[in-house]
Amino acid sequence: MSVVGDLIVLLVNGLQTGAIYVLLAIGLSIILGTLKFVNFAHGALFVVGAYAGLLITQEISISNGKLAEWGYPTLGLEWGFFAALVIVPLFVFVVGLAMERFVARPFYDRPDTDQILVTFGLAIVVQEVIHALIGPRTYGYEVPTSAFGLLPMTGPIGVPLSDVTINVWRLWVIAITAALVIAVYAIVEYTDFGLVVKAGTRDPEMVRLLGIRITRPYLVMFGIGAALAGIAGVVGGPLQNINPEIGMTILVPAFLTVVIGGVGSIRGAVLGGTLIGMVQVTLISIGSVGLGGLQFNFTPWAQVGIYVLAVIVLLTRPQGLLGSEEVSA
Amino acid sequence: MSDEVKSAEAADSAEVESPSLYDRWNAVREREITVAVLTVVGVFLAPFVLVEVPEMIGIRTQYIWYRSLVTLALIWGIFAIGYDLLLGFTGLLSFGHAIFWGTAAYAAGIFSAEVSGSPIAMLLVGTTVAVLLAWVIGWISLRRGGIYFAILTLAFGQMIYYIFLSPLGWLTGGENGFNSVAVDPLLGFLPLGAEVAVVPDALIGTWMYVFVGIATILAVVVGNRVLNSPYGVVLRAIRENEQRAEFVGLNVWRYKLMAFIVSGAFAGVAGSLYVIQRSFVPIENTLSWTVSGEIVIMTVLGGVGSLFGPLLGAGLYMYVANIVSGMSGIGDFWHMILGLVFVAVVVLLPEGLWGGLSWIRERVAGALGGDDR
Repeated sequence: MSVVGDLIVLLVNGLQTGAIYVLLAIGLSIILGTLKFVNFAHGALFVVGAYAGLLITQEISISNGKLAEWGYPTLGLEWGFFAALVIVPLFVFVVGLAMERFVARPFYDRPDTDQILVTFGLAIVVQEVIHALIGPRTYGYEVPTSAFGLLPMTGPIGVPLSDVTINVWRLWVIAITAALVIAVYAIVEYTDFGLVVKAGTRDPEMVRLLGIRITRPYLVMFGIGAALAGIAGVVGGPLQNINPEIGMTILVPAFLTVVIGGVGSIRGAVLGGTLIGMVQVTLISIGSVGLGGLQFNFTPWAQVGIYVLAVIVLLTRPQGLLGSEEVSA
Repeated sequence: MSDEVKSAEAADSAEVESPSLYDRWNAVREREITVAVLTVVGVFLAPFVLVEVPEMIGIRTQYIWYRSLVTLALIWGIFAIGYDLLLGFTGLLSFGHAIFWGTAAYAAGIFSAEVSGSPIAMLLVGTTVAVLLAWVIGWISLRRGGIYFAILTLAFGQMIYYIFLSPLGWLTGGENGFNSVAVDPLLGFLPLGAEVAVVPDALIGTWMYVFVGIATILAVVVGNRVLNSPYGVVLRAIRENEQRAEFVGLNVWRYKLMAFIVSGAFAGVAGSLYVIQRSFVPIENTLSWTVSGEIVIMTVLGGVGSLFGPLLGAGLYMYVANIVSGMSGIGDFWHMILGLVFVAVVVLLPEGLWGGLSWIRERVAGALGGDDR
C-alpha cells in the first residue's frame, strides 16, 4: 500500500460516485433553471433507466412480484449491456417527453408546491408499480468483461505505482459521464438550439415575441435531462444493487448537487457532484483515526458529510458555487 | 372530524322547518367552544364508529388492533394539524417533518429509559427537543424560499436519519431502533394499557386513548386559536402574497420561522405520543423520509388549509391503509393506488377531501336556500 496508490483509488472512487450525481443533477438543474419546474420524479427516471437497462441486458427471475404470478417467472431480452447503453437513453428520452407534455406542462402555471406534490406522487406511483410487478428484491447487473474483446470493461485492474486494484468499470463510468457532459455542454453553449434555451431562461416572453416557439426546445431539454437520468441508472447499476427504492435515496444527493453547484449551471453540477462524491468517499476511506487516545471513526459520518457541505455552501453562498446572482426562487 | 359534516347536514335538514337554524349554526360554527365540543364528540365516538359498528354489522375486525389503530390515527391527526399550519396556512412545503416527529420520539424514549417514564414528562421532553431542532433547522432552511425550502428540509431529514442511524447508533440502537422504552402509569397510578372503568369500555377503551384523545382536543383547540388569531391572519397573508405582506411592514421571515416552530411542536407532541403508545422507537417509522412523505400525503388528501381536513386525512389514511393492505388482491397494489389517488387529488381537488365535502355542503345549503358561504 502506497500513498500514491491510495490517493488514486480515492480519486477514482470519488469521481465515479460524483459522476452518477452529476448525470442526475444536470437534468434537474437544467429543468429547474429553464423551466422553473421542480421535478421530484427525477429519481423515478433513474429507476426506470436502471430497470429498463436490466431487462434489456439480461434475463431476471422474478420471485416476489405480480409478474411471476401472472406467468412470467423470468423476464428480459438478453440483448447485452451495449444494447442497453444505447436503447435506454432513447427510451427514457421518450418517457421524459411524455412527462413534460402530460405532467409538467399543465403545472407550469401552478405554484411550486403543487409541482413538487404532483411529481412526488408520480415518483411513488412509479416506485410502487415496479414494486408490485417485479418485486422488492434487489438485482445486480452483469457487465461484459471486455468491450469487443479489446478493452477491459469490468474486473480489477492494478493501479500504477502500487499493489492495489480498482474495478475498471469505475473508469468507464467516469469516461461515459465526461463524454455526455461535454456533449450536453456543447449543445447548450454552441448551437442555436442552446441559444434559444438560454434566452428562454432569461426572458421567455421576449423570446416568444421574437417569434420563436419556445415550447419545443423546452420539451427537448426535458427529454435530454430525463435521458441523462436514465443513463445514470444504467451505468450506475453495476456498482450498486437495484431495487424500487433507489430512486428516492439518490434524489436527495442529486438535489444537493444542484444546490451546491448552482441552479441552471452545467459546470456547477459537475463541480457540485465531484465535491459531494469526493467528500463522501474521503470520509469513508479515512476510517478510524486515533488522536491522543481518542478513537474517532469517520466512516459513519460519510452520509452526513455531504449535508454539512451543502449547509456550509448555502450559508456562505446561497446561490450555489457557480450559480448566478439573479437566479432566485 | 366527520362529525362536523354530520352536524352541518343535520343543521341543513332542520333548516327547512325553521330557516333561522342554519344561520344560527353558521354564526356559532367558527367559535372556539363549538370546535372544541365537536372534537370532544368526535374523539369520544371515533372508537365506537370505527371499531364497534363494523363489528356489529359483521365486518370482522381484529378488535385490539383496530382499537390501537384509532389511537394511532389521532396521533397522526395531531401531526397533520401542525403540518397543515405550515403547508396549508403559510404555504411552505416541508419534506422533513419526520425530523421533529422522529427526534421527539427518540428523546421521549431515551428520557423514559434514563430518567423518568412519566408519560407527561416524556411528552414535554420530546416536544422541547422538537421545538429546539425546528428552530435551528427552520433558521437555516428558510434562508431560501419556495422550492429550496422543500429540498433543504428533505436533505436535513436525511441528514438526521443518517446521524441517528450510525454515528449515534450507541445511543439510538441504530437500525434496530431504541427498544428500552419504559412507560410508567399516567400520573403515577393510571396504567395506560388498562381499560377506563367508569364508562362502558365499548366507548373509550384504555387510558392511552383518553390521554391521546385529550392531546388531540387540545391540539385542535390550539390550532383553531392560532388560525383565528391575528397571527393566523398574517400567516395566510404570507401564503397569498409574500411580497405584499413584506411591503405592509410585516417581518415575513420571522412569521415563517414561528410557523415552522409551531408545526414542529405539534409534530413533537405527536412523535412523543407515538412512542408512549408503542413503547419502542423504530427508526424506519420515525426518522425515515417515508414519514415525511406520509404526512404530506395525509394532509393533502384530507385537505390543506382547513382545520379538520388533516385530521380527516390522517384518520382515513391510517384506517384505509391498514384495512386495504390486508386484503388479498388489492393489498399488493395498495401503495400504487394511494399514489394514484394522491396525484388525482393534487391535480383535480387541490383542497382535498375536506374541500370536496365543504363544496357539497355549500351546494346542499344553496339548494336549501341558505346563504352561500
